[in-house]
Amino acid sequence: MKRQVPLILCFLFGVVMILTEFSPHAASQSVYNEIVNWTLIVWPFATVLAVATLVQTHWARIQRRSEHWQYSYVVFAGIIVMAAIGVPFGMKHPAFEWLFNNVQVPMGATMFSLLAFFIASAAFRAFRARNTEATLLLVTALIVMMGNVPVGDLVWNEVMAWSPWSDKVSEARQWILDNPNLSARRGIILGISLGGISQSIRIILGIERSYLSGGDA
Amino acid sequence: MFEKLLNMNRQIVFILVVLAVIIPMLLNIRLPLAVSEPTQKLYDYIDELPSESTIMIAFDYGPSSFAEPEPMAEAVMKHCFDKGIKVVGLTLDPEAVTLADNVMQKIAEEKGAINGIDYVLLGYREGPIQVILGMGVEIASVFESDYTGTPLSDIPMMADITNYDQIDLLLDLAAGTSIDAWITFANTKYGLKIGAGVTGVIVSEMYPYLQTGQLVGLLSGFLGAAEYEKLIDTPGKGIAGINTVSFVHLLVVGLVVLGNIAFFIQQRKEQG
Amino acid sequence: MIKTTQWVAICLVLCLSVGTAFSQGEPVAPSNVTAVDTPNDDGSSITIKWDAAAEDTGISGYQILRRIADGELEPIGDLLPAGTTAYVDSAIEGGTAYTYVVRAVSETDATVDSEQTPAVEGTGEWFHTGKTAIFIVMLLFSAAIVWNIYDARSGKDIFVRRIPGLEAVDEAIGRATEMGRSILYVLGLGGVSGAATIAGMTILGQVARRTADYETALRVPCNDPIVLNVVREMVKTAYLDEGRPDAYNEDNIFFLTESQFAYAAGVDGMIIREKPAAIFLQGTFYAESLILAETGNSVGAIQIAGTTSESQLPFFIAACDYTLIGEELFAATAYLSKDPMFLGSIRGQDWGKLLIFAALILGVLLELSGINWITTLLQRVS
Repeated sequence: MKRQVPLILCFLFGVVMILTEFSPHAASQSVYNEIVNWTLIVWPFATVLAVATLVQTHWARIQRRSEHWQYSYVVFAGIIVMAAIGVPFGMKHPAFEWLFNNVQVPMGATMFSLLAFFIASAAFRAFRARNTEATLLLVTALIVMMGNVPVGDLVWNEVMAWSPWSDKVSEARQWILDNPNLSARRGIILGISLGGISQSIRIILGIERSYLSGGDA
Repeated sequence: MFEKLLNMNRQIVFILVVLAVIIPMLLNIRLPLAVSEPTQKLYDYIDELPSESTIMIAFDYGPSSFAEPEPMAEAVMKHCFDKGIKVVGLTLDPEAVTLADNVMQKIAEEKGAINGIDYVLLGYREGPIQVILGMGVEIASVFESDYTGTPLSDIPMMADITNYDQIDLLLDLAAGTSIDAWITFANTKYGLKIGAGVTGVIVSEMYPYLQTGQLVGLLSGFLGAAEYEKLIDTPGKGIAGINTVSFVHLLVVGLVVLGNIAFFIQQRKEQG
Repeated sequence: MIKTTQWVAICLVLCLSVGTAFSQGEPVAPSNVTAVDTPNDDGSSITIKWDAAAEDTGISGYQILRRIADGELEPIGDLLPAGTTAYVDSAIEGGTAYTYVVRAVSETDATVDSEQTPAVEGTGEWFHTGKTAIFIVMLLFSAAIVWNIYDARSGKDIFVRRIPGLEAVDEAIGRATEMGRSILYVLGLGGVSGAATIAGMTILGQVARRTADYETALRVPCNDPIVLNVVREMVKTAYLDEGRPDAYNEDNIFFLTESQFAYAAGVDGMIIREKPAAIFLQGTFYAESLILAETGNSVGAIQIAGTTSESQLPFFIAACDYTLIGEELFAATAYLSKDPMFLGSIRGQDWGKLLIFAALILGVLLELSGINWITTLLQRVS
């Protein structure tokens, strides 16, 4: 019974949501809107639960004096300070804005900027012309990278001055993005969509139950 | 020697990247820039709008990825205010509200635009799909007031704006997949015209939409921002950024080429 | 005679000037005006259409007027620009009949009204006829999957090609066990309704069964509070099913943050501190993918990635040992569990692919021969 009820609910709501996609009638759309609103209700509960587990995890770390336990105090300080300012005074409060602009923004930007370093190191390590496919990939990547930036144009034109393709790198880049890139991407998207639909059907029919906390896969 | 090069410590690569970022900043180089078709299309679409038109800008990027979309926001807003086009700002990302507020205020001050008359920031509401769908029926049903708490009914520029019917373009400045939601729910369901400005890392995902015409135009990363700045003839952060990006690109190309030369020589040696 | 000719000339000039003045001052009434209930909507609008006027009729715009029952004719909406031939009235109420008049307005503000349309009511449709093609395709595809699932139950052998990334799951867990290090399982940034996240959780269920057997620590930092709770339950059930409830440690599955790069920073920190022997990156990933994968690579962990985020696939391929590309992620459950019903659904998926191939080939051939009904049909679907 504990298993059957969620499975029946899943089947019913799954089928109803599919049908509302094909029915523009006001009654069917109000059912759709109602269900979408219900999903929103789950959020506040889940968020409370998330904060609770975060506090629990870090509190346990402090109590057990786990490795680097001192940093857990930083987590608590962050939560308390931002909530103490943001909840009563709102996000327009100068102190909140100051913390946002001078703590959150630079820290987030720092993490994002790591991408540049990692792209360089990954490209250096992985882009090797080991076989025909890898060579094709390499040449394509070089053309797209050169065509992406103005300095690439300049360098390409200098290096390829002897050839008929001397001023064609931007065009080549655009062609690669518009044709091979687009068709390969569409192929992958079709496969992903079919896989997603197939998975949804398995869930609606109750064959795939992993989301019901494991059990029958 | 080649073996050493092939197994170069990643820290050396990191140092080279730092140099490729810092040096162009100090040199203040001005590189020649050609405008790509997707940027030109977006510019033309906005440029052909009559004054008093309204565009909506969705600031769907967080503090971590603001470096690329923010110059786009600045360039497009400058263009709009110069042409007398009104701008309605909003975001589907809770972290973006302050960023959006900062950039809107900055450009408005620069161009003498007045809050409530030439532009308004609606702010953020939970549930991206509900927000997009809800505004198609009535914007005030989702945002009963703007970011500062002023009721929409008290904002002069919102008097004639009820839903997407009065919005001539939605420009989504994004670092994630918000474009998919805007296209699925605002373009397909309500016929809202959509343009996009995205970070370089997700730009290739946008090409299917561009080809089908679901996007009227596209700004890709720093390059898109720089191109737009060139079109409005106002150099800004985009052009400054593209210099840095250019040299890092060159560095990566150089490293890949060098790595492959070393790889070939190493292989020949092993075979010989 | 001369007089008569002069009179005729004067009359002609007068007639022409009056005619020109008339055509500039008073526009021609809009013709063929129809008002119909907008098809395929919820009954909240009526569409009014009329024929485009010739350019020289001096029309500067159109005003739509509406009458409810025997009431007054009232203008609705703004003045529509010249050249407009349709208007959708979305401010109607169900059960009320409306009649419409289209008023042509000239540059000199002279107006002329069309004939009044018959009364019309807005009614909602139960089925969107524009989606018929997509509905049929959905039925066909679902039927193919369901038929294959039930056919597979008869015990027929279904072939699934080798997926190296999934073959390596046991190797990765074995290696972590031998080295006495933990396994890190990252589900990415997707919510619980995301197909990729569900697929990632399914693989996690299989991984948890093996880690329960080998008593290897399994660490799962979550980005979404709902995912956290589902994952805790899943892993707990997996440990119970394997008869190792004592080995389950709830603290190993925890919430980090919802913020994208703070999450990346948190996971990177774990990778550097704990140096896990195996890292699974399965689910929805954005720009943080390479940051995670490169850090994992730097500590020498065996990395198995899988995502449906196409733009992140190149990063994973460059930095990880194995990558499940797109649909391979969805095939994982069938592959790992060898359950005939799951395998059947994969064969059904392939039938769907064949259907798409057939439509593509047919569409291209027909387009090349100048027949474009299939393209038009697909373009109409929205």
